[in-house]
Amino acid sequence: MTDAAASITARKAAADARGEETPQHIQSKHEGYHWTAEAPMFLYAVWYLAFLYIPVLFLPLFSFNDSIYVAFPLQGFTLDWYEDMASNPALLGALQNSLKVGFVVSLLATFLGLLAAKAMTRYRMPGKAPVTTFIMLPLVVPGIILGIALLTMTNRLGMELSLYTIGLAHMLICVPFAMLVLMSRLEGFDKNLEEASLDLGENALQTFLRVTLPLAWPGILASLLLTFTISFDEFLLAFFLAGNEVTLPVYIWSQLRFPNRLPMVLSLGACILVFSFFLVTFAEVVRRRGVGPQRGAAI
Amino acid sequence: MSREDFISIRNASKHFGSVKAVDDITFDIGAGEFFSLLGASGCGKTTLLRMLAGFEQPTLGNIYIDGQPQAGVPPHQRPVNMVFQNYAIFPHLNVHKNIAYGMRKAGLSKADVDRKVDEMLELIKLPGYGLRGAHQLSGGQRQRVALARALIKQPKVLLLDEPLGALDKKLREQMQLELRALQRDVGITFVFVTHDQEEAMTMSDRIAVMSLGQVLQIDSPTRLYEVPQVKEVADFIGTINFFEGSIRGREGESTVVEAAGLGTVHSQVATGSTPATGQVTVAIRPEKISLSFAPPQAGPNVVEGRMQAAAYLGDRSHYYVRVEGCEFPIAVAAQNAERRLDTVDADRHERVWLSWAEDSALLLTA
Repeated sequence: MTDAAASITARKAAADARGEETPQHIQSKHEGYHWTAEAPMFLYAVWYLAFLYIPVLFLPLFSFNDSIYVAFPLQGFTLDWYEDMASNPALLGALQNSLKVGFVVSLLATFLGLLAAKAMTRYRMPGKAPVTTFIMLPLVVPGIILGIALLTMTNRLGMELSLYTIGLAHMLICVPFAMLVLMSRLEGFDKNLEEASLDLGENALQTFLRVTLPLAWPGILASLLLTFTISFDEFLLAFFLAGNEVTLPVYIWSQLRFPNRLPMVLSLGACILVFSFFLVTFAEVVRRRGVGPQRGAAI
Repeated sequence: MSREDFISIRNASKHFGSVKAVDDITFDIGAGEFFSLLGASGCGKTTLLRMLAGFEQPTLGNIYIDGQPQAGVPPHQRPVNMVFQNYAIFPHLNVHKNIAYGMRKAGLSKADVDRKVDEMLELIKLPGYGLRGAHQLSGGQRQRVALARALIKQPKVLLLDEPLGALDKKLREQMQLELRALQRDVGITFVFVTHDQEEAMTMSDRIAVMSLGQVLQIDSPTRLYEVPQVKEVADFIGTINFFEGSIRGREGESTVVEAAGLGTVHSQVATGSTPATGQVTVAIRPEKISLSFAPPQAGPNVVEGRMQAAAYLGDRSHYYVRVEGCEFPIAVAAQNAERRLDTVDADRHERVWLSWAEDSALLLTA
């Protein structure tokens, strides 16, 4: 999933490189690329993109290859691996688990993040800075430490490892992300808008529903998509805290021990790649659409 | 102006930590009055306005609106509405929905609300703008929509927080007159916050000049300008010349003051702060001083000096005259009532005579 996010950055970089090339191109009145001081930058961009994408592109490529060995030369086209994948109950179970955890975690984390973001951006309160720091702390604590700590704690408390423990762990890392996204959104529009609503006779709850929520909506959607992606993608905590039921990343890890399962894992990876690409593109479109009317409000 | 104490502010203070943003203020605002809070930024005028709106609770003291104590009353239950500095037009709603926003609880049918919104659009001279998006409006239009959105609630008091600050000069002057006319039409009490003294003078029935959380003087625009009670008010409203002096005694109606550079000054203006003896500041407005290039006929207040600088502004000219013994050059403003092309050449430092009437010299303390 992070690859897909990175791909957007990469495409932006490529677009920038092209953008810089264009005026040069016009000035030189020549067809094709004009070799100037910008040439090294262009080569760098090409090299960067190749480095980023070629390994990723091997995933779909070998997922259609009619051989259990991931090696050249290609042996012919097949959809067998996709069939394997679709008819594998363990894999489908893991996928279902990941979706379940992802949905619930993204909803809860975004809800809590919205409340926290509202408090952080709108109210004067003592100890605001330390509270923010503590909420953000899981972002910088290494995952493996967090995993060990949570495993120790669940053992001590006698909690049984399950999707719930995974979900709780995911909440810990998703809430800060949700809060960051939503804080920037709430800071992006004037707090006078909420005061105007109060002034016009609506109470705090109605103001939240009629003003804050519609204006924060693009941020809320972005937060839902981001936290879902983080939860869906997360391996370390899930690995530590999984009971009998595993999530997709943990399942994939377990399959890597068997060489004959590798092509199936590749086809699964290709599916996830396409899915995340659409998800991130969608999130970006929503985010940009959200910027539109807001610009008017800034005047 | 049926009631003099329609809004009553009693010993109101607002402290933010150790900062006293509003410091023990007491005054009344009458019903139907156009009342301005005037002061430099940080003087506490906006905090006072926000206390009236209910966004801030006074640390000490009380506020009464139409006889009702407002302590603990949240903004949405107060009989006041506000026009925000940046208008706070809801960007996700069109003009119609913005204006109708506060009508949800009025218990009116949709048709009645629509009719009222149309009336408001008529009032603010934007008929047919209902379906425009908030981002399609110009600054002046946003300001009018914010006004309509507040007025449709028929508040007892309309609060305005520097609503003209974001507009360009021409539009601002036009809106000043429109606002004043509108206020007379609807008869609602307006409390208007501004740092622009000209704006406050143009529109207000009365002005409270504020500084450092306190009210220096509350008066009509004319009296604030002509009879300021303290030096700071005289300095804030318009331009004025100050001279340090000490009281020598009285001669009939006049108080006689010995002032540095001016010699003996006679003043007939009684201000509240004029003491019987001791140190005072003599204050004279530039346009109250007449300038001549020949000695005027003998009068009580004449002083001789040399022209130091001159500025021709079209309708009037400003002169700065250096007088022996005065710390600063004296500012003089003269109307250019007659058409003349021979402007004063200040570089020649000509000898000039300044004179003023006895009722033009104010005596101030502090």
